[in-house]
Amino acid sequence: MTTPVAIEVRNLSKRYGNGGGRSVLALDHVNLSIPKASIFGLLGPNGAGKTTLIKVLTGISDITEGDARVAGFDVRTQSMQERARIGWVAAEVILDDDFSVWENLWLQAKLQSLTDWEERAAQLLRYFSLAEVRDEKTNHLSTGMRKKLEIALALLHQPSVIFMDEPTIGLDVGTRRMLWEIVTGVRKEFGVTILLTTHYIEEADILCDHVAIIDEGRIIAEGTPSELKGRVHADIVQLETSDGLDPAAIRAIPGVQEVRPQGNEWLIRVGSSEEFLPRLFAAIPTERIRRISVEKPSLETVFLDLTGKRIGAEEPMGDIRKFYAQIRRARG
Amino acid sequence: MRSQFWGLYVREILRTFRNPFVILITVVQPFMWLAFFGSSFSGVPAATLSGLFHTNDYIAFLLPGVLSTSMLSVGMFGSMSTIQDKRFGFMKRILITPTSKELIFLSKAFGSATRGLVQIPVMVAAALAFGVTFSLSPLEWAAWIVGLLCLALGFSSLFLAVTAPSTDWQTPGVVSNFITMPLMFASASLFPSQQFPPWMQAIASVNPVSFSALLGRGFVLGTGTDWWDLAYLVLFAALMTAIGYFVSARWLKVE
Repeated sequence: MTTPVAIEVRNLSKRYGNGGGRSVLALDHVNLSIPKASIFGLLGPNGAGKTTLIKVLTGISDITEGDARVAGFDVRTQSMQERARIGWVAAEVILDDDFSVWENLWLQAKLQSLTDWEERAAQLLRYFSLAEVRDEKTNHLSTGMRKKLEIALALLHQPSVIFMDEPTIGLDVGTRRMLWEIVTGVRKEFGVTILLTTHYIEEADILCDHVAIIDEGRIIAEGTPSELKGRVHADIVQLETSDGLDPAAIRAIPGVQEVRPQGNEWLIRVGSSEEFLPRLFAAIPTERIRRISVEKPSLETVFLDLTGKRIGAEEPMGDIRKFYAQIRRARG
Repeated sequence: MRSQFWGLYVREILRTFRNPFVILITVVQPFMWLAFFGSSFSGVPAATLSGLFHTNDYIAFLLPGVLSTSMLSVGMFGSMSTIQDKRFGFMKRILITPTSKELIFLSKAFGSATRGLVQIPVMVAAALAFGVTFSLSPLEWAAWIVGLLCLALGFSSLFLAVTAPSTDWQTPGVVSNFITMPLMFASASLFPSQQFPPWMQAIASVNPVSFSALLGRGFVLGTGTDWWDLAYLVLFAALMTAIGYFVSARWLKVE
């Protein structure tokens, strides 16, 4: 039995500009198939094409090439029908601050041509604990409350699909975690499909049933977080010693896959850090070890493995990046 | 479609009139026009006034003209609201619903025009305070108000068409200044166009501001409503609305 699909994207490309020297290929033959009622994460660094994909799928930007269907409607030819079946939560909170909470819901109901919306709106306000502030102007609300209202607006017309574009960007840790709970609850309670873009590894890992990793407009890997992490069959051990070591001594330790010495620092790729560390301590006197850290397989290491760079592009890449780039090159 | 238009139209109106400064300026500005500009001829002998303006009540002469020039600037606010919606992402919020760009244009154009109409009762009250008397003919009242609505709608549409493809917050102001000054002075709104040099008379003869001023003047001064003035204004509004509709559908930028 095939899984019902909420979003189907086939060979989708988006080019900004006229195709000449200054044009940018923001999406490059993207293929996606997103099951109904799932939380699907699009993970990638800034500028990878995540927001462009949402713009294209919501009809805000035109498609240059390829096809896309959302909630059963062709994005190109059935745009109005599609927009009646989708909701949108922006990276930055976008509300009409001249309006109260209830008036924002009223406006959303008007834009979606809803008639009997009051009961649903009241229900959503109760669900998001906003009933007490229904007559408050939205600029009097906390960031968390504003975000909740935005999600309530996205749910008012009972959409099949909600697009969340970096919904937790710029939020403090507490609000971010609250929002994760809300996103999970919304999927469970309302049965909607959620396409969520993020560059937070932890967010994609915790929230999403499926994750697609996007870089430079291309989907470079896709699967459940476990499947993706399973691609990297190794832990990375970073070791700093007080003096030089013989690389052969480390390579000789069972379970070591690759060793990259950098002065007194070592990047060691091992099958299992739990098995490797006791062997390492047995092989090297502990007083020679200044610092040791272990990086377990994560979506970050998957991205690193695939692209040779970290998702937080502005962060310094350091030795790990070089190490992974080398491994990638070695693999061809 | 009606639901979406109504939602956005009400939003335009409420956003405007929930701002106390907007209300204050809307009320005070017409009084200032009449008080400062209207009083500038207070020392002129009645015979001179009659010779120049065909009435010895310059404030009655000025009222329809000032209201007409006010309609010139209302379009700017519709444009500014559009630019603001783009910059703060609200345009995206609207367009990720089954709302077309054309409807956004129409709601903003009618919203601006309505905002302009609010100046009519304020100006009429100000004129009454300055001793101007009005005919009680409902038909003539209606013709004057419809004429002003058409003028406001026409200019709102023109401004929106110009700013639809833009996201620059300075554009509405620059365009407004560029359009407002020549159209205000090359019109019969403040002075009779018969005194103008021929080139200015040529502009005034096609300038919709002149038609609106003359339509209102016929009513206020009791010389009779010229229905061709109204027809011209209806045509102007229809043409500009059609242009704005087409331009917005094709080139309204989302951000």
